[in-house]
Amino acid sequence: MKIMKYKFMRYLMVVIGLAGLSSCEEEKYAVPVLKQELQNDVIKRTLGPNVAGLNIEFAYAMAIPASLGKLVSAEVEASIAGAEATYLENKSYYTNGSGNDIGIEIGKKSENNGTKTTVTFTRDTTAATLRYYYNIPSTAKGKEVTFKFSAKASNGQSVSYSMGPYKIAQMDMVLDLDVKDSTNAYISIEDMAVYSAANAPANAAKIDLVYLYRSIPNITFAHALVAPTAKTYLPGVTLPAGVNRSAKVQKVWNLRDFHLARLQYGIFIDDLDFQELNMASAPDYAINLKAEAGVWVETQDGKYRAYVYVNSVNNGSKSAKISIKRYTMK
Amino acid sequence: MLKYIKAIAALMLTAGILISCKEDFPVDEDGLLITARTQCYVSNFELLGADFQTVRTENAIIDTTAQTINVKVFYGTDLKNLFPQFSLVTDAKLDPKITGAMDFSDLANPKKFTVVSGNRKIRKTYTVNIAVQQP
Repeated sequence: MKIMKYKFMRYLMVVIGLAGLSSCEEEKYAVPVLKQELQNDVIKRTLGPNVAGLNIEFAYAMAIPASLGKLVSAEVEASIAGAEATYLENKSYYTNGSGNDIGIEIGKKSENNGTKTTVTFTRDTTAATLRYYYNIPSTAKGKEVTFKFSAKASNGQSVSYSMGPYKIAQMDMVLDLDVKDSTNAYISIEDMAVYSAANAPANAAKIDLVYLYRSIPNITFAHALVAPTAKTYLPGVTLPAGVNRSAKVQKVWNLRDFHLARLQYGIFIDDLDFQELNMASAPDYAINLKAEAGVWVETQDGKYRAYVYVNSVNNGSKSAKISIKRYTMK
Repeated sequence: MLKYIKAIAALMLTAGILISCKEDFPVDEDGLLITARTQCYVSNFELLGADFQTVRTENAIIDTTAQTINVKVFYGTDLKNLFPQFSLVTDAKLDPKITGAMDFSDLANPKKFTVVSGNRKIRKTYTVNIAVQQP
């Protein structure tokens, strides 16, 4: 019994000793060796669904050891040509002590040629980070887009980096529509536009919601989005001829979509939200809407679903500013 | 040495018998503990709209004698999609259970909810009367 105990103890001591030795071993630091070649890297800077009309933003970094040469050009090729506003920055940015981005011009403004966007360097540059803004064209809706970033150096070397594929959302978006009680009050989801009382009869078949503001004693009515069929909630409104469509309207609070609200909340409404929305029992009106509130809307024919966000309200002028994301169901 | 082992074994055996013979705490069909409490009432009532914001214009009036809850809601409240929330006395539970939005639009036939006491022997049915604010 005693011998076994000692044996065991000895074994334990050896194990502890070994563990102690290994933990004391120091890892030697070596200065990284500079790769003697042109190198590049890309990060995507934008988050959330890719909606037509918005930018997908990338930062493209490239560098070559000064002994080998300098940068000649940078190019981005998209699988689907970007809209006209697509560009590759001709400035390389750094962040100064105050946290501001300071740009240093390294070449001429970028040129779009079909699917390619190119910047040619005019200054001796060995390292640069250029930002690329791909303005999503409406033709890309529902498709996937990929990007190939490439750079060339004066010694003839070239590198490339592929990004994507990224899915472009089906939905449409419109920002900052002004609505005003009785004058500019007729909202069409199909056109994603607001019509005045004078223009409404011509577009009567497309009008889904009426905006109104009422201050009625004893009740809270305030700002409202009401389908033309909900006559109870259209006090004092004389509908223009032919405006008689219904809609399903569901009030929402605390859904401040990043694209629509442009506030600090990282919430995004995507195609999937519209697809999975259940509005079977929703009413045809929403009253007492406040700023930063919203409503889900489904048109009478079920063709469109939309999210109407209230950016701001003004009780004095009986007006509001709204933004819409819309998804075509069929 | 052996003596000690024997003593410990005997002790553990006795303890095991004693513990295993003790009756389990009684639970009901929902797996909730049935206690000795006989209190049976609603202590607070809340009503939320489809946007999960309150639709009450004032605090709900709960009459525990008449077993009624009178609540006044905003003009234009969508009565078909409301989420009721009950606060009950300790250990009590509600029947039927609330699983999602409920339709309160039939004002002539108000919804009824039964509170079941902690000992599951006392049942009190509360009627939720909704009045809509009028201009």
